[in-house]
Amino acid sequence: MSDELENKSGYQAQSSETVNEYSGSAVGDVDYVRPAEVSDQDLYHGHSFITKWVFCQDAKVIGVQYFLTAVFTGIVGLILSWLMRLQLGFPGLAGFMTAEHYYQFVTMHGMIMVVYFLTALFLGGFGNYLIPLMVGARDMVFPYVNMISFWMFFVAVAVLMASFFVPGGPTGSGWTLYPPQAILEGTPGSGAGILLMLISLSLFVIGFTMGGLNYLITVLQARTRGMTLMRMPLTVWGIFTATVLAMLAFPALLVSSIMMTLDKVLETSFFMPTIIKAGEVLGYGGGSPILFQHLFWFFGHPEVYIVALPAFGIVSDLISVHSRKNIFGYRMMVWAIVGIGALSFFVWAHHMYVSGMNPWFGFFFATTTLIIAVPTAMKVYNWILTLWRGNIRINTVMLWCLGFIVTFVNGGITGIFLGNVSVDVPLSDTYFVVAHFHMVMGIAPLMVIMGAVYHWFPLVAGRILDEGLGKWHFWITFLGAYSIYFPMHYLGFIGVPRRYFEMYDSPYMTSGVGLNEFISLAAFIVGAAQFILIYNIIKTLKTGKLAGKNPWQANSLEWQTSTVPPEHGNFGEKLPVVHRWPYDFSVPGAKDDFIPQTVPPSEVIDTEVEKT
Amino acid sequence: MSDPKIEGYQFKPGFRGMVDDTASDQTMFKGVHWGKAMMWIFLLSDTFVFSCFLISYMKGRGSTPVEWPNASEVFGLHVFGVDVPLLLIAIMTFVLITSSGTMALAVKYGYEKNRKMCGWLILATAIGGLTFVGMQAFEWSKLIHEGVRPWENPFGAAQFGSFFFMITGFHGTHVSIGVIFLFIYAYKTFAGHYDEEKRGWFTSMKGNYVEIEILGLYWHFVDLVWVFIFAFFYLW
Amino acid sequence: MHAGIVFFLVILGSVLFHIFTPWYWTDIASNWGGMDDTITLTFWVGGGVFVAVCLFMTYCIFKFSYKEGRKAEYKPEDKKLERILTWATTIGVVALLAPGLIIWNQYVNVPKNALEVDVMAWQWGWQYRLPGEDGKLGTTKVININDNNPFGINTDDPYGQDDVIIQSDVLNLKTNRPVKILLRSVDVLHNWYVPQFRAKMDAVPGVVTFYWFEPNKVGEYEVLCAEYCGVGHYAMRGTVIVQDEQNYNQWLSEQETFSEFVAKLDKLEIEEKKIVKKINLN
Repeated sequence: MSDELENKSGYQAQSSETVNEYSGSAVGDVDYVRPAEVSDQDLYHGHSFITKWVFCQDAKVIGVQYFLTAVFTGIVGLILSWLMRLQLGFPGLAGFMTAEHYYQFVTMHGMIMVVYFLTALFLGGFGNYLIPLMVGARDMVFPYVNMISFWMFFVAVAVLMASFFVPGGPTGSGWTLYPPQAILEGTPGSGAGILLMLISLSLFVIGFTMGGLNYLITVLQARTRGMTLMRMPLTVWGIFTATVLAMLAFPALLVSSIMMTLDKVLETSFFMPTIIKAGEVLGYGGGSPILFQHLFWFFGHPEVYIVALPAFGIVSDLISVHSRKNIFGYRMMVWAIVGIGALSFFVWAHHMYVSGMNPWFGFFFATTTLIIAVPTAMKVYNWILTLWRGNIRINTVMLWCLGFIVTFVNGGITGIFLGNVSVDVPLSDTYFVVAHFHMVMGIAPLMVIMGAVYHWFPLVAGRILDEGLGKWHFWITFLGAYSIYFPMHYLGFIGVPRRYFEMYDSPYMTSGVGLNEFISLAAFIVGAAQFILIYNIIKTLKTGKLAGKNPWQANSLEWQTSTVPPEHGNFGEKLPVVHRWPYDFSVPGAKDDFIPQTVPPSEVIDTEVEKT
Repeated sequence: MSDPKIEGYQFKPGFRGMVDDTASDQTMFKGVHWGKAMMWIFLLSDTFVFSCFLISYMKGRGSTPVEWPNASEVFGLHVFGVDVPLLLIAIMTFVLITSSGTMALAVKYGYEKNRKMCGWLILATAIGGLTFVGMQAFEWSKLIHEGVRPWENPFGAAQFGSFFFMITGFHGTHVSIGVIFLFIYAYKTFAGHYDEEKRGWFTSMKGNYVEIEILGLYWHFVDLVWVFIFAFFYLW
Repeated sequence: MHAGIVFFLVILGSVLFHIFTPWYWTDIASNWGGMDDTITLTFWVGGGVFVAVCLFMTYCIFKFSYKEGRKAEYKPEDKKLERILTWATTIGVVALLAPGLIIWNQYVNVPKNALEVDVMAWQWGWQYRLPGEDGKLGTTKVININDNNPFGINTDDPYGQDDVIIQSDVLNLKTNRPVKILLRSVDVLHNWYVPQFRAKMDAVPGVVTFYWFEPNKVGEYEVLCAEYCGVGHYAMRGTVIVQDEQNYNQWLSEQETFSEFVAKLDKLEIEEKKIVKKINLN
């Protein structure tokens, strides 16, 4: 231990004077950048296996830890979805599948994918890895808290997984956990299962708060010299705004979890009215089930954007880099992200149009919901306008981005159906809803994750993923996923309700049988195709092409590190100084078709670069 | 405190200054310590937690079909043969607000590097907090003795007990955590960890008197929340 | 290039699928045709945007694929274009929102002459109650529910005595008379949903929720539970039979009222006691 302490102070912190000498001498010089406000960060360097790879304080390692843990839960979620599709497409084929199991799988699949997979992956995974690199910081501002954040998440996942092994199994109350049903007999896992779920969610919220504070303060207070907010890559903007949403939305989840735990354990009646079950009057009375729904969706709707905004940000960067063209309308993109984030707190009850709340709320929430469509549409226009007159590399990364645009526009437009209150009435709680949210917050963000993996893998591992395998992976996933969810909307039109264990033999159900079988087959193939990526990663780690520095000729700071992969402290001796936005691609008069953010104006004096 | 001086940066007053700070590089809140900014944002998040609790309480109180108990009777204290409504709560509130005052003074002496005064004032704050928690425990036991439980109570709507124990319990947990940290910080102050910039036990970050101000922010927040809880539970 | 072709085929396939799909909504049997119309309108506008955006994207793939030495355009912003697109989108959104809100306004305002139907849900089944000759439903309380009072009717409420109670999951309705569905639940959330009527609303324990529709087509329809309510959710079904006035009245006259039900129970009880007495005597 003493040896460790010694090492803690052993880090050679640079004094601010050395940084000042680096660039720009006086005010008025074209290359002038203000001197550093804060002295260089004091970092703890791990030196044993445990402090380097397990309880590590380096945000990059924490990011990878988050990523791998999230992917592990994601694979569990994937397997659960296979089992569900097996039951829906080919009922009776899996002999062990009872209605109890089916509902447990539905619930766990939903909760895992939304919270433990997508949220953790985008914010914990990409957020940790990319924020310090992209804003030019040595690390997150509170590395120790950041480490605790991951381990809290890890424990939350462990508790969640433990619920598979308790008597009664995991909760089967649907991922929305609506009371009274969630904690009453008659729902599978209403004993230990739901309790572990609530505990796990509370742990997740606490852990996430620790991480979230790091992301926010790193972006707000630890940017490098010259890095203004309006010079940040949109990836950082997306993750930043999503984190703000999370910090304000997760409290509602925490509170509702606490209240439901008390309802379950102490028989309080926060959400429980007088209930008669099997002729017995239960010991509850006077509570309001709709209160839970308000709390849940006050969290639940921003949650959708917690997943979507990082995806918006990342895809903007990927499209820009691989079209060799600046992102079109950067400022509009930033304001759209911020605006969508702010509006997302005023739309939650559009999940509750037919919940029995005061129906007059419908007018307000339908209006706010459709207002969100405007900034969202602007983002879509700007993505395709970025492609326009670009010089588009049709590589694997770009393919995932194009796949994202198709699936996102598709899912976004079905969102207009569901947000428009009276159109929602016939469609809510049918497969139309299932198809909509899988398309828009399942497949579309997943496309971005995949694109981001292919894009940043060379940075993380130093080798470029195999393009051939990548293209197979993309086409099977994209075409497969599209043929799962596009036709699924039509099941909803027929009137097939969601969360039905069996599509029994009534007239409008039987007509959908063939379609159901097709969807299931496609789901098996798409799920299996994901293992191509795992194979690709293993193969690339062994024999892949070496990436070298900046293989995509990108401008943002993460590619300007002193070594690839970047070591602890990110930028070696001196922190980079930023002179421009990260989108100076194909600038007229420039030698190359890209000008990294660190290039000072004096080096590209003849170019017609716009001031940013 | 006067505005911080930052080399090469021109501070401007008012809205213009806010826009300039936002548009500048490196930091958004000029001269603000990372930890302090973190605490502010954490408190914003915590505000949402307590708001959710209190809004749920209002909704629960509004929608329960059974009569809500009369606060001044339930929380009344029988002293020297007289029923005094809200006596205990008045003392609790007074103690907590006073501890906010001692905390503020501790921060002041901390920045003046007055180790002794700072340490004693932190200790006084901690003892104030402890007294508050103790009195809360007394009130809880009194109510429990009278038959109030989270799931029922003899005075009226069952939700009264549920919300009361949950929200004051959650707030009491905040106070208790604060007290623990106050004791630790008092020790660290007396031991001179902030003067000699000793590295933290866990975080390995250098000690600095700003940490006392950060803890102070948390402490004032906890007091402020109490004012709201006080108003919602005892005065409504 | 190949990518462009595949994306084009995906868009074409989506459009063709929509045109030729054998899976589309069931024939409507209520007054909510406006909902279908709004869906159709949204399909035209939204589908148009989808096809336009994706075709533009495909065009870009064909036209601007990577060529060594070519330089992309450098144009960070185009204020005018952005403004035009914002306004066009806003107009489109308003055009979709307006009919939606108009129909919602009809949905939340129940016609005065609507027939009230009390739909009571439990895990897992339905039962119904219609007002008697006085045209009013008696008040109820969950706590009153027992074998002698399956609907929990307040026995001191005179309106409740003549209520028609239907202890089966088959409900009859007559054509062209608005129906106000009053939903109750004794345990968890449920939702009384008939796809052909388009309308739905959750039944929430502790409160009474409502919605209305006007059946306008004779036939037998299936009722589904559309809010997850536990492990029997998928099996929670019922039937609605919509008939013309004459058949409906016939059916109605065959149903028993609450007071008849109670009288029958009392009689049974007395007979039971007699039997017990006899047995004891023997």
